[in-house]
Amino acid sequence: MAKYIGSRLLATIPLVFAVLVITFLIAVAVEANGSIATQICGEGATPECIGAIEEELGLNEPIVSRFFSWFGGVLSGDLGSSLVNQNTSVGELIGERIWPTLSIVGFSLLIGVTLGLLFGVLGAIRPGGFADRSISVGAAGVIAAPGFIIGMLLSWGIAVELGWLDPVGYVSLGESFTGWLKSITLPSIALSLPTLAIVQRQLRSSMANALQSRYVLAARARGVSRPSLISRHALPNALIPTVTVIGFRAAAAIGLTTAVEIVFGIRGMGEMLVTAIISRNVTVLQGGMIVVGLVVAAVNLLVDISYGFLNPKVRLDRD
Amino acid sequence: MLRNPLALLSMVWFVILVVSWLRPELLATHDPFQQDVSLQRLFEGPSSDHWLGTDGLGRDHYSRVIFGAGFAFRSVFIAMTIALGVGVPIGLFAGWRGGRVDRAIIWVNDVFFSLPIILLAMAVIIILSPSLTNAMIGVGIAMSTRFVRLTRGVTLAEKEELYVDAARITGISVPRILIRYIAPNLLSSLIVQAAIISGAVILIGATLSFLGIGASLDDPDWGVMLNRARPDFRREGIWQIVPSGGALVLTVLSFNLLGDAIRDSIGRDASSNALTVTKRASVTPASTEHLTDDDIVLSVRDMDVEFPSPNGPVSAILNGVSFEVRAGETLGVVGESGSGKSMTMLSALGLTPAPGRMTRGSVRFADEDVTNLTERDWLRLRGKEIGVIFQEPIAVLNPAMKVGAQIMEPLRIHLGMGKAEARKRAAELLAEVRVPDPERRLDQYPHEFSGGMAQRVGIAMALACEPKLLIADEPSTALDVTVQGQILDLLAEIQSRRNMAIILITHDLGVIAEAADRVLVMYGGQVMETGSAEDIFFRPKHPYTKALLDTMPQNHAGDGDLAVIAGIVPQPNAWPAGCRFAPRCVHATEACVSAIPPLLTVDADHVRCVRFDEPGFDLAHGGSTAEVSA
Repeated sequence: MAKYIGSRLLATIPLVFAVLVITFLIAVAVEANGSIATQICGEGATPECIGAIEEELGLNEPIVSRFFSWFGGVLSGDLGSSLVNQNTSVGELIGERIWPTLSIVGFSLLIGVTLGLLFGVLGAIRPGGFADRSISVGAAGVIAAPGFIIGMLLSWGIAVELGWLDPVGYVSLGESFTGWLKSITLPSIALSLPTLAIVQRQLRSSMANALQSRYVLAARARGVSRPSLISRHALPNALIPTVTVIGFRAAAAIGLTTAVEIVFGIRGMGEMLVTAIISRNVTVLQGGMIVVGLVVAAVNLLVDISYGFLNPKVRLDRD
Repeated sequence: MLRNPLALLSMVWFVILVVSWLRPELLATHDPFQQDVSLQRLFEGPSSDHWLGTDGLGRDHYSRVIFGAGFAFRSVFIAMTIALGVGVPIGLFAGWRGGRVDRAIIWVNDVFFSLPIILLAMAVIIILSPSLTNAMIGVGIAMSTRFVRLTRGVTLAEKEELYVDAARITGISVPRILIRYIAPNLLSSLIVQAAIISGAVILIGATLSFLGIGASLDDPDWGVMLNRARPDFRREGIWQIVPSGGALVLTVLSFNLLGDAIRDSIGRDASSNALTVTKRASVTPASTEHLTDDDIVLSVRDMDVEFPSPNGPVSAILNGVSFEVRAGETLGVVGESGSGKSMTMLSALGLTPAPGRMTRGSVRFADEDVTNLTERDWLRLRGKEIGVIFQEPIAVLNPAMKVGAQIMEPLRIHLGMGKAEARKRAAELLAEVRVPDPERRLDQYPHEFSGGMAQRVGIAMALACEPKLLIADEPSTALDVTVQGQILDLLAEIQSRRNMAIILITHDLGVIAEAADRVLVMYGGQVMETGSAEDIFFRPKHPYTKALLDTMPQNHAGDGDLAVIAGIVPQPNAWPAGCRFAPRCVHATEACVSAIPPLLTVDADHVRCVRFDEPGFDLAHGGSTAEVSA
């Protein structure tokens, strides 16, 4: 297993490198579509200002050497500085903004995956039964509703009307644990509902496949009881495709959290990215891309490791 | 699809949307941009003038929602044109080329696939400047990765098909092959996927507009309307987000429901599975009595099993099946594929696959009537008193579970053994079925077993609790000839040691000749003939039995060509009205096709043929009834 994890870890390096290349090319494309230096110097930019900025950002150098100097910087943790406010380093900015985002995405995945798995099994136990049909209808509805709309409903209903939680704002974990948990609860629920529905649907359908399999029939013929057929025989096999879907959904949630954060007035990566786009602050967007790329690579790694645990064939073939 | 009310409602919603898109002025009551800033007209609820109320600038919600449909459709149009236009050709190319090119393309595609769609859209927006069109270009590029995967997968599979090979050999050009052979197979999956992705496109488009980096902040776009409502909905009430949010959710839902409906109308659904326990309350009792010999282990009388067919009446898979098997005896069950052999055994054990069910008959195991046994009561018989060996030895082992754990299951469930004891016994069992190095094998997974070794595991599991009855369904078919012989010898040896009854299902008469004491010949879900192995081989009474015998290589003198019975086994819904074998029978007469012949009793045996006792109807000394395939 350790060898397998090691080989999977190595496999994430090309992915991260590819994301870095894409990220670099974005800056090149932005520059090609309008001078960044002119933009920084503002209206009535003097040639001296433009020249100085281009010098500073290395825009006059050939593209390959620009890539390597940028790439070297990224490897040493230097993501450059914000184009809007030259005194702010992108690394510091992200360091501030990443925690609310990671908290919400992480908590939402915890809720969504746990309940999604639970409801998925419940639906598969009695296909066509009352529980199954109610869960399916609910899931279909929730999949069609974006997280930020659910967030608006929660912020209004639970926070404003019922007054149970604060409608906006974020309390950092350092300040207060309960404050932190309370502040991320509603955004996390909003983001988790579509996750829940997607996980539920996938697990229900792969459970249905597993329960139709010959090995479940054979286990039944050995006198294996219903609960054991579901938990010991069908579930481990049904989890394999479900884990894949959870991985996709984790990546999607990182993107969708932007809108949810904005609903709840949380200054996370979402607000940072939107502001960066509107002000063409490409270094900040690049920083965001790199962080997301790293998180996605980590999620992929976790998914691969889960395969190793769930699917003996994967684990043993590569060990 | 039209019978699905949800799909129908979705279509109605689409018609409304399309009209709103093409002729919004027909439905709208106000100019969507017209502001009414007199204080009384802001943040209004529904009224006769403003059906869905007004927003913070006094603009009519209803009219803005109507005009919003155009933005939604334009989003879908731009994004899907790019997604399909980029994704499908790349997928076709990668799938067709295969090899290294394919791997490189898929690797790059997977990098983009794994990044959040919103982030990729953001990258395009920062390059091209914020607008709905630019946002949708980004979403389209991101979504193209989905179509690359889908198209490539289908192309890769289709490419291996024989008809595509044939087309290539005859020199048809690659683009023509792709269009004529691959595209039709791809189309249905593409339509389903496109419907669902269109819903996602609208959702992401609205999210980007909500973030203020999509449609312009004055436009009557649903996402923009939600953006405009955001600062005020807590103070002014949730109604502010209902018209636009509702339209958005209903539209996405319609796309999803339509996609699901299309998929269901093409493929199978998952509404029932092996755990769907069909009600057995209405089993009509058998019309004939069970035999009462003491040594009968399993007795089945008059069993009917029916399956509801998706379009049409129920079809009877089994009809009036009766047989019994005694302790120490081997009952061979023969018949071509599709004659109902395996279904008979599954149904006798209460394992009829859903949605089929037993509708008539009676089953006795030892002294107990098990016809209406509950699933819970069956647990004490299955695996303990009755062992089953299935065909497809690998498929019946759980791929995610160690082989040892699976063998230990019946020991722990039925004999109450602890872990260590069960493990020791499992190793003994494996040794008993001649699996070398049993201790190590216990900790392996099914994929580490060859077919022959897996079949031995299946036998070990079936025999674990020393059952009174062993049902072996094609136990040796998947195996090579030497292993076949070993397995049959093994069963015979264990049988004589334990006085166990065996039901041996096979379509191989050679196996029957070697192992069976008595034989049950099945065809078309009915018993055609029963008799001692000797009678069946040397004095067959039924033309079907005779035809089967004539297909045996050793009975067919000649040049080594294989003999077959002319015609094919009909599908259950296409069974002929009279004798089910009549259409293929060389002895068939008028009487054979008019009514189903009854199962006649001759001494202790049975035969279902109206002509068997006609003078001069002597199958044993007749000529061959099988034809030689060229």
